[in-house]
Amino acid sequence: MVKAVTMPKLGQSEETVKIVKWRKQVGDAVAKGEIILEIETDKAVLEVESFFAGTLLKVVAGEGVTVPVQTTVAFIGDPGEAVPDVAPSTTPAATHGPKHESMGPLTRPSPDGHPLPLEREKGLSPLPAERVVPSGGDRVRGSVTSQSSNEGSFQPSASPEVFRISPRALKLAKESAIDPTQIAGTGPGGRIVERDVRDYLEAHGYNRLRITPTAKKLAAREGIDLLSLAGKANGNQITVADIERIVSERPKPLAHIRQIIARRLTESYTHAPHFFVTVSADITEVEALRATLKAQGTAYTVSDFIVKAAAMALEEFPIVNSVSDGEAVRAHSSIDLGLAVALEQGLVVPVIRHANELTLAEIHLRAQDLTARARSGRLMPDEMTCSTFTISNMGMLDVENFTAIINPGESAILAVSSGAKQPVVKNDQVVVRTMMKMTLSSDHRLIDGALAARFLNSIRKHFEEISLWQRLT
Amino acid sequence: MAAFDLVVIGAGPGGYPAAIRAAQMGASVAIVEKEELGGTCLNWGCIPTKTLIASSELLERIKSAESMGLRVSGASFDYAAMADRKDQVVQKLRNGVKQLLKANGVTVFQGCASYQTRNRIQVESNGASALLTAGKSIIATGTASAMPGFLPRHERIVESRGFLRLRALPATTLILGGGIIGCEFACMLAQLGVKVTMVELLEDIIATIDADVRRELRRHMEKDLGIRILTGVTLEEIAADDRGVRGRAGQETLEADLLLVALGRRPVLDGLKLENAGLAPNARGFLDVDAYDRTRVATVYAVGDITGGPLLAHLATSQGIVAAENACGSYLHKNETVVPNCIFTTPEIGTVGLSEQEAQQQGRKIKTGKYLFGALGKALAIGEPHGFVKWVADAETDQLLGAHAVGPHATDIIAEAGVAIRAELTASDLAHTIHAHPTLAEAWMEAAHALIGEPIHSAPPRKPS
Repeated sequence: MVKAVTMPKLGQSEETVKIVKWRKQVGDAVAKGEIILEIETDKAVLEVESFFAGTLLKVVAGEGVTVPVQTTVAFIGDPGEAVPDVAPSTTPAATHGPKHESMGPLTRPSPDGHPLPLEREKGLSPLPAERVVPSGGDRVRGSVTSQSSNEGSFQPSASPEVFRISPRALKLAKESAIDPTQIAGTGPGGRIVERDVRDYLEAHGYNRLRITPTAKKLAAREGIDLLSLAGKANGNQITVADIERIVSERPKPLAHIRQIIARRLTESYTHAPHFFVTVSADITEVEALRATLKAQGTAYTVSDFIVKAAAMALEEFPIVNSVSDGEAVRAHSSIDLGLAVALEQGLVVPVIRHANELTLAEIHLRAQDLTARARSGRLMPDEMTCSTFTISNMGMLDVENFTAIINPGESAILAVSSGAKQPVVKNDQVVVRTMMKMTLSSDHRLIDGALAARFLNSIRKHFEEISLWQRLT
Repeated sequence: MAAFDLVVIGAGPGGYPAAIRAAQMGASVAIVEKEELGGTCLNWGCIPTKTLIASSELLERIKSAESMGLRVSGASFDYAAMADRKDQVVQKLRNGVKQLLKANGVTVFQGCASYQTRNRIQVESNGASALLTAGKSIIATGTASAMPGFLPRHERIVESRGFLRLRALPATTLILGGGIIGCEFACMLAQLGVKVTMVELLEDIIATIDADVRRELRRHMEKDLGIRILTGVTLEEIAADDRGVRGRAGQETLEADLLLVALGRRPVLDGLKLENAGLAPNARGFLDVDAYDRTRVATVYAVGDITGGPLLAHLATSQGIVAAENACGSYLHKNETVVPNCIFTTPEIGTVGLSEQEAQQQGRKIKTGKYLFGALGKALAIGEPHGFVKWVADAETDQLLGAHAVGPHATDIIAEAGVAIRAELTASDLAHTIHAHPTLAEAWMEAAHALIGEPIHSAPPRKPS
């Protein structure tokens, strides 16, 4: 019996999900629990398992398509079974959810499945394929897609008037690998005719270009204007290597997760006036305690201690656990600590909820679980939203000090650097201690310097207070 | 102390063209050679072997003359006379190099070079020594046949250079190593009536070339020339005495009058005292160079076999010219993307560019087009209808990336393919280039027709019914 594979609902906040990759192709056998596709939300890349066993009969929503949760994306059944005729374009499935809408100006899905960064591609690519001849047929890469809802989202901003060219002129322009939109038409109504293309080539010294046959063919295929290459080739003629260099230098869309990071951090850094306060914490005794605890069987991380110390400090300074837009201030009712985790594709910030109510052992287990699942791409979106304060620990990366950008929705972030042995003056004696710098970034709209200093020193005090840890572990 | 802008060490096909080019650019140039001008290629490699092969192939052709309506009886050979001719050819070319160096004002030093510092080179010869100061230097010392330690030292066990000193042929020969050198000697000896057995450790002979080309060569060597080829086995317990050489291959004991060792070549850097110039060979014993043929010492360049690339005279020459230009202030990128490789077996093999097996290793999508000499008028007319040519092209653009020929004059006709690949022609450009009829080179055009699916003189591609 044919069963519909629906996009799972991943949490309260996610309404649309983008299909990144189908791990199974039509005709492949699928076991129950086997991963069949990879999806991407605003927060992370996830894998989707099949609830059924059978053969993948049909893929309704292809790679690169964004669909609402609960939408049918594929069918699984026995080979040869009839599949209901569901076209993605007729379902509301392909419409952009509100989340995606906000990304509107930046991306749109293209037929080959990759979001194209429109503004930049137009600016940099010598021959922007999507701008060429909407009437010309196969050149209209992406300006009209099967997803009807996308049509309105893209308006060529360059020339509102209709671009008109004769078929022969277009053929010549294509074969010559030049951008015909640069040509002034002399035909009726400004239509470009073949002679216009010839005159244009002549006037721009096209015949003086030396191009290898394959390079010309490749340029035509890749939509590269050969005239833009005059004098820019590495040798004395334009070769395949020159074309490949240009193709490799073309802007490529950032991964969805990177685009999200870019948007959120730019927003934060431009809206919230950041200022930075640094302290040095003496971690000698905490390190000794960690070593003892490890010998006893639990390998606590420095982050575990920082989370607890920060949660205690946030209880003392509730204003830091609030957020402001410059006009109002909203206090968070719980202390939910985000832990920045670096993945290959970008940063994710899993959240330890109610960190102030957890024991150190509970924090350790929670952090260990979240970090491991973040690394394997198995965090649920709900586990990565609505933190109230964030900790970014680069201690493993051998850095002396750094500053972090505040996570949107919060007012401060703590950047934790590496511990290192240093000569330190204690009781007027120079002694060797392991010191670690911590830098707090604060939103000055809400937090003043004195508050930041008191808050940060509170974290340090808790962190260095060895009797506290002996009590809590 | 003599001072030069450039000192070239080694006067082989890498070194002497470098010296000439630098002199032409106005530099004062010295070249140091410890043996003979022309190096391995001219004295103990390409030239002497091709001279002998020309004789053995002519004999082979004469023996089969009857198939072409000729009656020749009593065809035989005098190996000593063949060897004399070889020496004359070598002598003539060697003199040519000497004249060229002289005409270009290059000072030739006979002796062994060693670095004292990166800019001071000592030349020693029979106790006499000279000290040269060198603004820059080019190392072009090349390679020599490898003679691994497990081989006994005996006059019946020789490598290629030792073989070329012989004045008479053995009746039977064992060849250790089925690479290019081993196969060339095997074909020549078999044509001169020597009973040849070849032992190769790998699963096939000349493993670097495509399997279909290899198959064609091996079939001819075994079936027509009667060479016994043992692959995938090692030759062990090698011994030699006055009566002959012996070795065990698997269960079998092989015996012959002579063992020819063709196990590859080793870098020659002995006595050069590289460390005084701040240089050291890499793990394989060769010198690493960058895209401008510079070693890691700014004033020292290296070219040819010693840089660890393919062991080809024409590649060494190309590198030598680039290094010379760069040593004289140019900034040339070396060009090694399209290097033809010619194998003078019977049948001959010529290859250039990408092979099918390389494309497979790179995961690159390709198309191929093949044409058999058996279907080509000229090949039939000259009585050599064996082998084929093959193009390898990019699957999407049809760009010609590689060419492989096995058959009559394969080493000559490969030149066209090299030009086509270097010029980045597509298969259709080549297919639509008029080739003279009747010639062997037509095969390239026919193969290009086949590649683009428009064959005229071969069966059309099967259409799905």
